[in-house]
Amino acid sequence: MRTQIIALFLIVSIGGLVILNNVFQAKQENIHSALKGMELSSQLRDIRHYSSEDSLQAEALMRDFNEAKAVVNIALSDSRVMTSVVLLLVIVLSTTVFIIVICRLSKPLRELKHATDQIRQGNFSVHLPETGLPEMRELKSSFNMMSRELEAIQTRLLVAEKEMIWKDLSRILAHEIKNPLTPIQLAIQRLEERLETNPEAIKEILPESVSIITQEIENLRLLAQDFSNYAKVNQPNTEEFNPALSIREIVKSYCQDYQIELDLAEDLKIRFDKTHFYQVLTNILQNAIDASESGKPIMIRLYGEKSYAVLCIKDQGIGIERKDLQRIFEPYFSKKSKGTGLGLALVKKLCDANGSIVRVKSEIDKGTEFTVIIEGV
Amino acid sequence: MFEAFGSRVLAGVVSLSMLLFSSFKGNDPKMTNLGYRNSDSFLYVSGIMENAFDNDFPTIFASGTPISVIYDLEIRQGNRIVAKNSFRHTVSYNPATGIYELRKDGRGDLFRSDSVQDIMRHLSSFDFGIPHQPSWAQVQIRIEARLPVVHFDTMNKEVDLMVLWKYKKPSARIHADLRTPE
Repeated sequence: MRTQIIALFLIVSIGGLVILNNVFQAKQENIHSALKGMELSSQLRDIRHYSSEDSLQAEALMRDFNEAKAVVNIALSDSRVMTSVVLLLVIVLSTTVFIIVICRLSKPLRELKHATDQIRQGNFSVHLPETGLPEMRELKSSFNMMSRELEAIQTRLLVAEKEMIWKDLSRILAHEIKNPLTPIQLAIQRLEERLETNPEAIKEILPESVSIITQEIENLRLLAQDFSNYAKVNQPNTEEFNPALSIREIVKSYCQDYQIELDLAEDLKIRFDKTHFYQVLTNILQNAIDASESGKPIMIRLYGEKSYAVLCIKDQGIGIERKDLQRIFEPYFSKKSKGTGLGLALVKKLCDANGSIVRVKSEIDKGTEFTVIIEGV
Repeated sequence: MFEAFGSRVLAGVVSLSMLLFSSFKGNDPKMTNLGYRNSDSFLYVSGIMENAFDNDFPTIFASGTPISVIYDLEIRQGNRIVAKNSFRHTVSYNPATGIYELRKDGRGDLFRSDSVQDIMRHLSSFDFGIPHQPSWAQVQIRIEARLPVVHFDTMNKEVDLMVLWKYKKPSARIHADLRTPE
């Protein structure tokens, strides 16, 4: 509104000056024309002068008149030039002032827009200098107050989030470590007891106890490996390969113990980190095996669709509840009695890192199907 | 240098404002046909002034006060000024006789006529001679015309006649090879 008022004022004032100038120019043109018509010399020359004194007086008169006419003529020209120049300068100056005022008015708004963008992108540390017009100062002050509050809230949230993550992690770690420790402790206690009461008969329970301890230590090692794998997902080292060949190779070791059916398109090629591909497939497959009952086969299907390779792993297990489906890719979320909840989180993380998509659909008592969509070559 | 730049800026501003806001005709002087002749001892420079004296000048000449047109001649060899001179063409008028007199510096020509048109025709051309130094070879001749500030005695008024040229100083330059006389 303020800008429009200034622009209107500028147009009216400049327009007025231009009109005034035109009127002046027209009047001066009239004077100029009239001046041109004023002629004295020829008439005076034609008058007979009776004495040299008369001639001298006439000559002086003619000289004065012509000189005055010349001076007026030049003064008129000068004034016409000057009014035009002054008008031009006034217009240039007014326009410059107008542009400066507009810039000064719009600058804080631009600053505010930029700062709002920063806030939108999550940078709450942005603060505006509280300068300019009083309204703008007030606005900037309010904005700064808001950004400071947001920054404080963000800091508190970050602290709380970190604390929560550490708590969760500690809880899970404690739980997962405690589970294998109990059988180990029990096995050792049994061995101690037997050693005190009947050392000769220790051989009877030794193999079983050692087996329990070894098994639980292996569980602890796997647990450590899961955490380590999740933590060290780095930049994928992608390469071009045939996924069907890789799937056959990976599945070979599982086929001896589990029933797995393969339906693989052989002519597909994908670009993916091979190690990541192995981790994705084994984690999903392990999940399917854990969920399946014996005698119910797991289906692995690979096919091409448009420019993508689609990998489906389907089991006929117990299925996942709808409310849990949304959380299965979250770290430490698990419904299994033995599990860190990191397997599927790792799958998601690896797929994201390789520019692929992982989806899941499930029906209770019918089974679960994981689909990995990978861009083909 | 700053003076020349300043006068160019002023001429530009005046021209623009005249174009936009004024019905003032004035004169738009232009220097054309700049040429030179090379004799054994003199270098002659000639040219024509177009649209320089058509408007307002007859009235100014008729004032009786001598009115001059000044030509500043500059000869450069490379970046060095080797010669510099100013020449005046002065018009005087005697109201008692109605005779105009034009005195041209440079060649020392003198014209008399009762017709201002005749005088303006003669005034519109110039031809100066300056001593030719044997060392001059390839030179650049530059000439610029201007009008002086004139004092009108009877009115006791001083006026800058450049306003009649809208503060524009017409100029021209030419390259001359003086190694062989023409």
